[in-house]
Amino acid sequence: MIRLVPRSHFGVWSTVFPLLIALGLTVVVGFVVLLAMSEQPLSDIWTLLTYPWQARTASVQWGFVLQKTSYLAVIAVGLSIGFRANVWNIGAEGQFAFGSIAAFAGYLLCGMPDTVWFLPVMLAFGVAGGVLWALIPAALRVIANTNELLTSLMLVYVAANVLNYVTTGPWKGDPKAGQAESDPIHQSLQIVSIIERTDLHWGVVISGGAIVALALVVLFTIFGYSLRVAQNTPRAQRFAGFSPNMTIWLSFIISGAMAGLAGAIYLSAETGKLIQSENYLNGLGFTAIVIAFLGRLHPFGIVAAAFLISYVNVGATYVQSASGVDDAVADLVQVTALFAVLGTAFLSRYRVVFGAQAILGERTA
Amino acid sequence: MKGLLSLEQITKAYPGVLANDAVDFDVKPGEIHALLGENGAGKSTLMKVLSGQTKPDAGRIVWKDQETAIASPQASKALGIGMVHQHFAVFDGMSVGENVALGLGRDFDASQRDSIRETSEKYGLPLNPDALVFTLSAGEKQRIEIVRALLGEPQLLILDEPTSVLTPREAEALFATLRLLRDEGRGLVFISHKLNEVRALCNRATILRGGKVVATCVPAEKSAEEIAEMMIGTRPVPTRKAAKRIGALALSVDGLTNDEVSIPSLQVSAGEIVGVAGVAGNGQEALYALLSGETLAAEASSISLHGQTIGRRGPGERRVMGAAFVPEERLGHAAVPDFSLIDNTLLTNIQTEGFQRRGLLDWTRTREHSEEICAGYDVRHAGVTGRASSLSGGNLQKFIVGRELIKSPSVLVVNQPTWGVDMGSATNIRDRLKALAEAGSAVLVISQDLDELFELADRLCVLNHGVLSPTRPTADWTAETLGVAMAGDADRSAAATLVEERAT
Repeated sequence: MIRLVPRSHFGVWSTVFPLLIALGLTVVVGFVVLLAMSEQPLSDIWTLLTYPWQARTASVQWGFVLQKTSYLAVIAVGLSIGFRANVWNIGAEGQFAFGSIAAFAGYLLCGMPDTVWFLPVMLAFGVAGGVLWALIPAALRVIANTNELLTSLMLVYVAANVLNYVTTGPWKGDPKAGQAESDPIHQSLQIVSIIERTDLHWGVVISGGAIVALALVVLFTIFGYSLRVAQNTPRAQRFAGFSPNMTIWLSFIISGAMAGLAGAIYLSAETGKLIQSENYLNGLGFTAIVIAFLGRLHPFGIVAAAFLISYVNVGATYVQSASGVDDAVADLVQVTALFAVLGTAFLSRYRVVFGAQAILGERTA
Repeated sequence: MKGLLSLEQITKAYPGVLANDAVDFDVKPGEIHALLGENGAGKSTLMKVLSGQTKPDAGRIVWKDQETAIASPQASKALGIGMVHQHFAVFDGMSVGENVALGLGRDFDASQRDSIRETSEKYGLPLNPDALVFTLSAGEKQRIEIVRALLGEPQLLILDEPTSVLTPREAEALFATLRLLRDEGRGLVFISHKLNEVRALCNRATILRGGKVVATCVPAEKSAEEIAEMMIGTRPVPTRKAAKRIGALALSVDGLTNDEVSIPSLQVSAGEIVGVAGVAGNGQEALYALLSGETLAAEASSISLHGQTIGRRGPGERRVMGAAFVPEERLGHAAVPDFSLIDNTLLTNIQTEGFQRRGLLDWTRTREHSEEICAGYDVRHAGVTGRASSLSGGNLQKFIVGRELIKSPSVLVVNQPTWGVDMGSATNIRDRLKALAEAGSAVLVISQDLDELFELADRLCVLNHGVLSPTRPTADWTAETLGVAMAGDADRSAAATLVEERAT
């Protein structure tokens, strides 16, 4: 006999335990998939799980893991604020793109300054761009009561096409490049690496700072408090005197700002220029939605989930190219992890009791 | 056959609490046996044992002189035990007949329709099997539950606080039905907080306190005060109406109307308590929301606070002007269930001075304030960092009321101040409300509890079908006249039954 007994106390263990089970399930499913797809599944899964350590270029791999973690985490933490308050912005990819476009526009508007001191201004332009793009679905929701899931998603494709337009039209750069792209920004505005020849750049630090700042805002300001109240207790929210529409505006502004910041950092640190959307956007804004839920909408959880997914991704990319396994493996692992985490979420609220203990449990419960 | 049911030395422990401690309880055929006790005294646990929802750790269950075990709700039903729950388990979108059939695990057909009609007529429970449930009053929904239980031919019927949602007139009709069932030789268990009802209806009463039986008596031979004393252990303070000084007009409503309620006029002055009586679902929630600002009025001028029009101002602005509000729902409205008491303290103090410094929340100050509330208003808790949802109903209500009273608001609007709260906490809260008015605040109490209103209010009015009557001094009302004013529902359903009978 198996019984589920509600937990009376929530501790660290009740949070960590289901995550460990989810991790185990993910490894098992990943192994089964590799078993079907690869000729040497054992060595492949070993490589997949340990690649960043054993690679000859370990520092490069770790840099890549941390860089990817920072983009995913900064976007996901922003999204989680709205998700907790039932505001569904799934268009972070578009806000990311618009953040990049706005940062570049700011650079052009200010006369292409060639100094590192302009970098904060450029990042601020990026933040503003992300916010601007996020305000569209927010306004549609508040004024016309449209479903923000649809509008925010559709605006991703609009933003991608705006990016295509500027890189083929007004801001078109070198016509001999193999892709539509703008001219690069000045070297001085390109964020540099902390450790040479790795992807571990100062943008990672800026993202980390943004996450910490947001966490402080949520914990120590009235505005953060109002967001926490809004989470699933809309009546208490009105009782306290907060307007539900304010929650919608603020959720979109925050998630847009974080995605816009990520977009501006990406422009400065990774590419140094705008490129046509297929070669510029790589789904970070969408993956961040998964990360937000993998991390249970909690900042620590989100950073951990972003790290894990980035880590596995680096290994999967290598295995893909090294042993010719289809590149769907990384996506499969990611989706499996999401299902496993959501499927085991109930374990943080309930204890599972087996066999004779189940009957005993009923006595003492 | 001596007895119908006898529970002997029933013991049931939950972590940290002995819910039933060697409880003896028996029901004879042809009697109505009251089970009394404060919230948490162990009544629900005992009834769960009877309905097969939980197994006792120790003790014997004897049914018709044979020892038995009740392993499941199905087994309980099969023995002949019927249950009428406090919260109705009926589906609003289905007809009466479909609801009854669903409860019995059958299909709704013509023979069902006849048996429902037969049973409902026999026991004075008028019901139209084809009526849709959402059109019915609370009293009618309860009749569905009773008819459903009766169709299972129970020899023992348990009623859990059956009158809590009824008008006095509907309650009288219910009592007639219960007496009829008793006279047929069935046993009835009647759980209630209302001691006058118990004294009028029940043959015997068993009183639980802290999981133990403290007394068994014939309720008609005891006064309500004596029974209350057995329930809570100490003699409740007799009510005393102090001579009051009525001050300036504080809260005034003039021609306030929306989709749900219509309030032609209402005035509350400093130093007085005005009561709003009414059966649940007659617009109390809407009235509360308009007064608190959670729903804005169409016209700013329709509500005034200290002479200023506030109809278009939200709860925060009204609080700044000295008003405070206590909604009915504790969890999810007055408090965020997953928040600590500290976080919940801030909920109505966002505009209060001293809780912010340069835009940042002052958690130290908030924490101190939450401790002051708990200490000053007798909130028993396991630490202010504990979740609101972990407090008992009575303690959470004391916290929620205390959070407002500690501010000494000049105007307090409170909806159902002691709903579902144990008697000790309820007495405490009422005394605090009286003290607030005596100190010169204007208090508006919306309540379904007539005893409470008679105890607290200087003036009373009635909310019926969303319309608020003019107020009259409490001394001018009797329970009967108040009951008639509240009884719109009962009248309407009786009329509907008549029309329906003529049609068939």
